[in-house]
Amino acid sequence: MLLDNRYYQLISQEIAEGKGCFRIRLLPDCEVYRGHFPGNPVCPGVCQIELIKECASRLTGRDLRIQTVQQCRLTALASPTVCPELEVDVLASPAEGGFLVKASISDAAQKYVDFKGEMNCQEA
Amino acid sequence: MTKVGITQLIPQRAPIQMVDELVCVDSDRAETSYEVKAGNFLIDHEILAEVGLIEHIAQSASALAGYKALKAGASEPPVGLIGEIKRFHCYRCPRVGEVLRTTIQMGAELAGVTLLSGEVRVQEELLADTQMKIFVPS
Repeated sequence: MLLDNRYYQLISQEIAEGKGCFRIRLLPDCEVYRGHFPGNPVCPGVCQIELIKECASRLTGRDLRIQTVQQCRLTALASPTVCPELEVDVLASPAEGGFLVKASISDAAQKYVDFKGEMNCQEA
Repeated sequence: MTKVGITQLIPQRAPIQMVDELVCVDSDRAETSYEVKAGNFLIDHEILAEVGLIEHIAQSASALAGYKALKAGASEPPVGLIGEIKRFHCYRCPRVGEVLRTTIQMGAELAGVTLLSGEVRVQEELLADTQMKIFVPS
């Protein structure tokens, strides 16, 4: 996984019947913040989406890739200072060739990401 | 068009700077290029992750916004954030060394939110397309 132990650290996970709840810690020393943005660390929205992909892969036990993003709203600015720990909730239902994934990223204060898209399984 | 260094046009830096050049601008349309680099943050085993294509499209739009801001007299490019992604399709992920050519079409701007669409190609092959809203916090 691209961002595991690089951009975030998994604290805990609960998986049941196509539904997963993942608690993660953002890593403030991640190199991505050197460039996004210099002196102003902000979580890249695309890293949040990749985080959802990795949690969906854990949930389904498959190595998933993103085929479509039907809609993804980034509703609040996230950073390791604003939200050091986050909860990623993922719902995956089987669809043609893969899964329809609905997910959100939030903490106690607010929601940061709302995602809906299709992911398929990578060939081995 | 006059050549302007990319660091004057976009605020993103290594390891997540993902446009090399703003190739041309025609009012609300622009074309950019980017050679996929091994040191990029979103490279997984020599392949750019799907979200790397989204980031590249967002930064291509950022380059056009930066170009316009510079022409209007700004000294720094605006910092835009992705607010929404809609109808993104990834047909193929590029490998390190491939050169992406991307066209951006900017739409209306309302209260700091700009609508745009983008298409990424390697030569004639379409790799990804999407619609997006970029938000510039004031």
